[in-house]
Amino acid sequence: MSHTKDNLHKEEQVHITSYKDHFSTLIALLLLTVITVVISVFGANLRSLSVFTALLIATVKVIVVAYYFMHLKYDKKIYTWLVLIVAILFVSFAVLTSIEYLNR
Amino acid sequence: MTSTALNLNYLQVKKGIFSWIFSVDHKRIGLLYLYSLITFFLVGATLGVLMRLELLNPGKDLFEAQTYNQIFTMHGVIMIFLFIIPSIPAVFGNFFLPIMLGTDDVSFPRLNLLSWWIYIIGAIMALSTLIFGDGPADTGWTFYAPYSVKTGTNVTMSVLAAFVLGFSSILTGLNFIVTIHRLRTPGMTFLKMPLFAWALYATSWIQLLATPIVGITLLMIVAERVFGVGLFDPSIGGDPILYQHLFWIYSHPAVYIMALPAFGIISELLPTFSNRTIFGYKAIAFSSLAIAFVGYFVWGHHMFTSGMSGTARIIYSILTFLVAIPTAIKVFNWVATLYKGSIDVQPPLLYALGFIFQFMIGGLSGVVLGALAADIHLHDTYFVVGHFHYVMFGGTGFAFFGALHYWYPKIWGRMYNKLVANIAFFILFIGFNLLYFPMMVVGLMGMPRRYYDYLPEFHLPNMISTFGSWIVAVGLLLMLGNLIAGFRRKREAIVRNPWGTGITLEWQTLSPPPLANFDRMPVLPQDGPYDFDHKPEIKE
Repeated sequence: MSHTKDNLHKEEQVHITSYKDHFSTLIALLLLTVITVVISVFGANLRSLSVFTALLIATVKVIVVAYYFMHLKYDKKIYTWLVLIVAILFVSFAVLTSIEYLNR
Repeated sequence: MTSTALNLNYLQVKKGIFSWIFSVDHKRIGLLYLYSLITFFLVGATLGVLMRLELLNPGKDLFEAQTYNQIFTMHGVIMIFLFIIPSIPAVFGNFFLPIMLGTDDVSFPRLNLLSWWIYIIGAIMALSTLIFGDGPADTGWTFYAPYSVKTGTNVTMSVLAAFVLGFSSILTGLNFIVTIHRLRTPGMTFLKMPLFAWALYATSWIQLLATPIVGITLLMIVAERVFGVGLFDPSIGGDPILYQHLFWIYSHPAVYIMALPAFGIISELLPTFSNRTIFGYKAIAFSSLAIAFVGYFVWGHHMFTSGMSGTARIIYSILTFLVAIPTAIKVFNWVATLYKGSIDVQPPLLYALGFIFQFMIGGLSGVVLGALAADIHLHDTYFVVGHFHYVMFGGTGFAFFGALHYWYPKIWGRMYNKLVANIAFFILFIGFNLLYFPMMVVGLMGMPRRYYDYLPEFHLPNMISTFGSWIVAVGLLLMLGNLIAGFRRKREAIVRNPWGTGITLEWQTLSPPPLANFDRMPVLPQDGPYDFDHKPEIKE
């Protein structure tokens, strides 16, 4: 019924993200991209660590995007937990599969 | 909306085929799913009966080995991807979730309609393999590599069909999660939600998070077949065990997509027909989430004989046993709900009791298969086929039929013949157990699955099983015929709460419900959704 949707709007908290925050996030993402490219070109001596480094930088970028651009920072804590649970699941899949592969 | 329009029920608002196939009303979409699902179920069941007919006697009776392989693959693909995965959420979830939450629709009605259309497109793609290309896939519904990469049958289309169907599942899951979070009626906290909604909530998370994994995996099969990229085929550097990992990371949680909504149905049926509150509301609600969560980590038990590492096999075996705990919690609470209840034996309750009996056999045989040492002997035998059907058909299938009988007067505003419904249940119940129990016996004797022929010592159990399939077919036809015949009965007889003891919000509205679901504000019971001591008075 429509009354529930009306209540829904009342419950929502309005927030306005400043230009400064948006711009800082953009700069951070661009910087991290530059670092990824630099490492891939000049970091040949990192060997097996190069994949780990690339994943680490990508993870930081995901967190920044989710936190600022996707408004996780301003939303209820439950949504942060939901995203964390998803991340834990994904890592678990990778870890369990890797355990199997490395012990074969 | 005018008062006249408000008084019209959702079936009367508009007429004509286009008012159905382009409707964004969750109730009509639920029924679109129901009619499509039943059609595909009957196709799948016919293929199943044909398979049993071939296995009536040893040796070749009806089909060549290759045809048999294609039939069991089609049977699996249709029953799993077109029937049992969408079944309860798509039909009863769509129809009743918004009503049970006291709202007028799901959060994204257009997305809801799109999910049905995607489902239909996927179904057409799957069935097109019967006509086009080099015949239906012969790989089994699991599409195991490297055979699925090499076979000349139409695996690519089957796999793409499953990929497309996955989108339908994801959209439904997404819709339900948002609806449950955002559109509950004022006063209905999470812990005042009906248990069916809790079950759908847990299921939706699996649909949302696990389905993309199988989507990508199936696309990898297509890439391997078309471009020969060497992902799974060892002859070009691939790893076939990787395919099994990726496939089962989705497909084991998918078992809970099939089973959890059925648990939700049983949790609704038992309080209504015991006329008392559910025992252990919180335990049942949270065990749904626990099953959904732990279910993500047990996929390796499907791969014990694949050549995977010994360490991993032990880890997966231990994790598998953990799933039994929340499942057992549910069964304990259901039985405790019946204890000292004022039991009214109606057709839906019979299906619920049939569910508990058969699901226990299916679940406990699952524990046998989760035990590493036992599984080595039983893997790929008929024991697995028996176990799987006890859980899926004896469990989810019976819950689906129970829900159909339970909500039938609410959906259509009519009532079926209860005596015929009871008779149909007993025929189905006897036929079911005759059909599938011998499979477990013959599996223990060592008969492998997926062969069109067998040794003479397996003859008797196979014969009993085939007889059972005929009884099941009779039971199904009688049950469906009785429900269809019910459409001709008088509509006026149906009150808001025809069972007299229904307590969730759908029993406060008209039968069938109006377009906006409620003709007056629904009243929540004081102390949770199953507070039989303070039931709101329902006036006609």
